[in-house]
Amino acid sequence: MTLIKNNQVETDSWHYQQDDEAPTANKSIVTLAYWLENKDTLITKSLILGISVNGDTHIDTVADELEHLSLVAITIPAFADGRAYSLAKLLRQQQQFKGEIRAVGDVLPDQALYLTRVGFDALELADEGLAQLTLRKLSDFSGHYQTV
Amino acid sequence: MYQYNELDQTLINERVEEFRDQTKRFLSGDLTEEQFRPLRLMNGLYIQTHAPMLRVNIPYGLLSSKQLRTLGHIANKYDKNYAHFTTRQNIQYNWPKLEQVPDILADLASIQMHAIQSSGNCIRNITCDPLAGVSADEIEDPRPYCEIIRQWATLHPEFSYLPRKFKFAVSGSPKDRAATQVHDIGLNMKKDADGNIGFEVLVGGGLGRTPIIGQVINPFIAEEDILSYSEAILRTYNLFGRRDNKYKARIKILVRETGLEKFKQQVETEWQSIKNGPLKLTKKDIQRVKAHFAPHAYQAVSDLDGFEEQLNNDKPFQQWVTQNTAEHKHAAYSIVFVSLKSPTRAPGDMTDQQMNSLADVSDRYSFGELRTTHDQNIALTDVLKSDLYALWQQLTKLELATPNIGTITDMICCPGLDFCSLANASSIDIAEGITKRFTNNAIDTGDISLKMSGCMNGCGHHSIGEIGILGVDKKGEQWYQLTLGGSDSHDSKLGDRLGKAIAKDNVVDAIDDIVHVYKQNRTPNEAFAKTLDRIGLQPFKDKVYDPH
Repeated sequence: MTLIKNNQVETDSWHYQQDDEAPTANKSIVTLAYWLENKDTLITKSLILGISVNGDTHIDTVADELEHLSLVAITIPAFADGRAYSLAKLLRQQQQFKGEIRAVGDVLPDQALYLTRVGFDALELADEGLAQLTLRKLSDFSGHYQTV
Repeated sequence: MYQYNELDQTLINERVEEFRDQTKRFLSGDLTEEQFRPLRLMNGLYIQTHAPMLRVNIPYGLLSSKQLRTLGHIANKYDKNYAHFTTRQNIQYNWPKLEQVPDILADLASIQMHAIQSSGNCIRNITCDPLAGVSADEIEDPRPYCEIIRQWATLHPEFSYLPRKFKFAVSGSPKDRAATQVHDIGLNMKKDADGNIGFEVLVGGGLGRTPIIGQVINPFIAEEDILSYSEAILRTYNLFGRRDNKYKARIKILVRETGLEKFKQQVETEWQSIKNGPLKLTKKDIQRVKAHFAPHAYQAVSDLDGFEEQLNNDKPFQQWVTQNTAEHKHAAYSIVFVSLKSPTRAPGDMTDQQMNSLADVSDRYSFGELRTTHDQNIALTDVLKSDLYALWQQLTKLELATPNIGTITDMICCPGLDFCSLANASSIDIAEGITKRFTNNAIDTGDISLKMSGCMNGCGHHSIGEIGILGVDKKGEQWYQLTLGGSDSHDSKLGDRLGKAIAKDNVVDAIDDIVHVYKQNRTPNEAFAKTLDRIGLQPFKDKVYDPH
């Protein structure tokens, strides 16, 4: 997996929680279900945490959790499923979420520009080759009609 | 008409290069067919029965003579010397080569045209009343708003992977010539009591497998809010529209399953949070675009003596004027419909030579502008009455003056089985049969809208034809289902099934029977819909299914 963050390849400083193990270090990504179940305990640990959600997650399910979180990873089940785009937009625009929003799953290089324009600032690509192509694709357009 | 600025031009140039790269990666195997599919569709490229099909947008149906000439040039250079105009005011090429499509797009970019979002699950070309700006009954010219919506929708990062395609239509007149009631969003321009401009917003209309008439979601959205309101509808649809079944993925199904009231509540909650944000249009924004649509330098009077004499002395000319022209808001001018329904070609088709010559004609007689219509014809909207005779003579030479606008031979027809991989039955040969049967008495038969689709996806809008014909497949044979009484005017209505499907060989006779019953029963000057209303379906059924 190769991570693009803010338009460059970066080493991923986050790690995904394995097998529902309680996170002990900063920068752990837990599932939304795990978070909701254990959040009282997790909050007292004062760790820097993120959650992973599916693209069809309703914004109301996560809105109240955001103040405790530094990252939301949205899984795109199939590249043609556009719900993640609106979810990211709502996180940024309606919820004013300032942490990282990461696209995970079926992400095509040709979609990278749109993803970053709706609020994703991190993209997970399958390998270095695709990541390099993605970086190229990010500069395909020099202007846009939409200002937001 | 709208002229590109640097941003517009750069954007479509970059889009051409992006697609060139995608095509190259597909041809070299770096993109799979599955991955390439939505990318090519968002550039109007289908893979059809014989070859790819490229659909090019004609934004709200407005074309310059220069653009039409280049469209003809493309038909000549990359295709088989003709192209097909669609019910959504666009143009389609049926025989381009995949590897040449980037070059075609580059040619289009040179005349400020493109194929962006002419297909795919995204916001499609914004369509509009073809008589915008020139009809006498207009409340407000919708074209500047179409352009504003076009720009907002083009390469929209959030709404490019919708559950299904999404179509807007905008009308500025009480008489709907844009079929706003059968679009995902239909906008009818209104003025409030204080003279402020706004839109009645319809949502969830559509044809296809489940034809539904759109419902009013909000009776008046002020002009400055039209983008934020549209964005709220699109976001709600993108989040909640069904993605489990492509036949239930259009917004009409979401609205039906959610219920209009609840759907409206979802939309308006979202709208309240973005209404006063950056999407709010300023008077300046609107004015900037409106300036592109200033009226032509119309002549105040025209000497009509010659025209009256020509009308009186030349019966075919008089017939053409009656059938193929309409009233212009300036008395000295007429609106002329160029018929693309001649007995010699498939409905909506035009050759490269016709395109070239018609471009010249429009330069000479109609300010070099043309409009494509929802009925697959072309309108020259600003012709001096004193020029009509000369224009008619030239159009006649070009086989573009068939006096049949609004009649049964002015039918809407999809490409059908001959071209389309979705179709169950052919449309073009049925159209040919009907044209042959009725060409000599179409005017006498009166105005009847006949619409035909080769399958239930309904590209030929059969469900809103006064006579609708739908091709169906029965164990490998082509059969046709007839409906009567549909309407696409301001009171849109779906047609009723006449009875069981009819075998291909009997379709033209059945249409003849229907026309016969109408002619026998109509009172003087009674329209088809009125007669049908009065006498009901039964007499038509009796004649078609039980002729003895």
